[in-house]
Amino acid sequence: MNPLENFRMAFESLWGNKLRSFLALLGIVIGVFAVTAMISLGQMATAGITQDLEAIAGRSIFVQPNFNEGQDFSTAPIREEDILALQTLPAAVIPQLFTSAQYEARPGTRRSIQLQGTPGDLPRLDPTNKLAKGRYFSEAEARGGLAVAVLSDRAARDLFPGREAVGQVARLFYPNGARLELTVVGVLQPPGGLFGGLGAAATVYVPNELIWNTSPTARKGQYDFVVLSLKKGADARQVTRQAQRIFESRYGKGKYQIASTESFQDTLRSITLILQALLGAIAGLSLLVGGIGIMNIMLVSVTERTREIGLRKALGATSSQIRQQFLIEAVVLTLVGGLLGVVLAAGLLLVITATVPFFKVFILNPATVLLALAVSALVGLFFGVWPAARAAALDPIEALRYE
Amino acid sequence: MAPDNRPVVQMRGVTKIYRSGSGSRTVEVRALAGVDLSIYPGEYVALMGPSGSGKSTLMHIIGLLDTPTEGEYWLGGEPVRGLSEAQLARIRNQRVGFVFQAFFLLPRLTALHNVALPLVYRGLPAAERLKRARAALEAVGLGDRLDHLPSELSGGQKQRVAIARALVQEPDLLLADEPTGNLDSRSSDEILGLFDALHRQGKTIVMVTHEPDVGARAQRIVRLRDGRVAEGGMV
Repeated sequence: MNPLENFRMAFESLWGNKLRSFLALLGIVIGVFAVTAMISLGQMATAGITQDLEAIAGRSIFVQPNFNEGQDFSTAPIREEDILALQTLPAAVIPQLFTSAQYEARPGTRRSIQLQGTPGDLPRLDPTNKLAKGRYFSEAEARGGLAVAVLSDRAARDLFPGREAVGQVARLFYPNGARLELTVVGVLQPPGGLFGGLGAAATVYVPNELIWNTSPTARKGQYDFVVLSLKKGADARQVTRQAQRIFESRYGKGKYQIASTESFQDTLRSITLILQALLGAIAGLSLLVGGIGIMNIMLVSVTERTREIGLRKALGATSSQIRQQFLIEAVVLTLVGGLLGVVLAAGLLLVITATVPFFKVFILNPATVLLALAVSALVGLFFGVWPAARAAALDPIEALRYE
Repeated sequence: MAPDNRPVVQMRGVTKIYRSGSGSRTVEVRALAGVDLSIYPGEYVALMGPSGSGKSTLMHIIGLLDTPTEGEYWLGGEPVRGLSEAQLARIRNQRVGFVFQAFFLLPRLTALHNVALPLVYRGLPAAERLKRARAALEAVGLGDRLDHLPSELSGGQKQRVAIARALVQEPDLLLADEPTGNLDSRSSDEILGLFDALHRQGKTIVMVTHEPDVGARAQRIVRLRDGRVAEGGMV
């Protein structure tokens, strides 16, 4: 008797008990659905994170004083000579200052806003900064420390709600009360994607020189933060090491934190992987529960069909043929469940890619599908062994007498 | 039918002992105590006896659903002793056609597929199975009921499907266990008529029954009493 025959018989028998078969394989459907969706979502998330990170930060290296040492910006600043040293590397060097200021939201109500010093012509140095309106202040304006400002999308909305910001004068106050009047020359595009939230702060970009000249805390020639925007073809790891060497030779180990976006990506990727493994384990548990459900229903089926088994043996079926029949029935059951689970997962992934902006690409690897189906078949095989053995061991005389 | 033919069934001193319990509380039941029996090709034998006489056990042993504890049994001249479970299953499939009191048709299969079922285990291709099954159903007068489910058939028709299922195996031996036990008298007559016809065609039939008028239609009656052949063993 050929195996195809067994598959046909299995389908017939499962089809004859549609509702029960469906309920029995529901556990497998859910388990395979969860595993498949989890793996694919993980892959889609990794792809999304990589893309988003690239969009917001490009390929960059960040240098800042290490806070773990109990310092603040003023005790371990980045100096002009460090910047000069960094300029030997294959990257655009963007030294920056951070300070906070306030603005008058309504008469008598002041709100905080971030004031960020940059060199002139920032979008050219770091293409991830894109202008929505107006222009960025030029290098000459920056060097001259002119009172010009470019606003982040959020800052434009906060400072000039419902109005065109470019051409307006923004009035800011330092914590000590000193006033700063800035002519707005441009507005940046809001950052997109998952990290949009991070970049969506209300930030006023002004020349570094201006902050040195006006801030009560900033000291001329000292920076808080440097971004190295890598040139095409530059190796992030290598440049990171070179930058590290520059700072270590000058200040010793551990004073500065130097990291590339690629190392962020690695971190994010390993976080996704851990999450995937955790969720995958939970999904695996549901497969186990589903498998036990299959075993249960197969045991019931064997008991119910005792007379059928007896008859088949009387007609010449061997024990191993009976065992095969029930094993294949279990495998068909779980395979159908696995297929349904994969289809459902694919549906969910399609809906997610269509509706959640972060997930841009639909990923369902053939390897994932194959794995899901192989696992469901194995679950059927594993949990079908005992019921099938019980069916095979039935004594035909007893089985035929069974009421 | 000539007695010098090689017997289909030949038994010498067949004994069956059932043990239950364990240790000192083991209970032995001697269902058969030395049966000698010969059945020749073309014979129509009724196996009779009160309940507990061992006729069910004897039928199971004849049909290879059970094996003797002691004694020798040749089916179609082949000794049965020492055969494996799989070998017994194969011989059952090829030499013995069962007809049961309760029909034992699979409820979700049509008459045609029920009849074709034993041939599945013979490894025949589907087309061949169905061709033979159709012929067998036509032979029992159910050529117009091929695609009916058992639930759509009367008791007599069900039993005829079961007989067709036995005939499709082209067995050495038709083994019927109270085949009219679940039928009304009209259907009983119909089924017994069919067995008479099969006997006339030269089929070898062993029918277990406790009804004297059913047994009377057989050519020979083998009576069992207390696990022994009381009459008709004809060795």
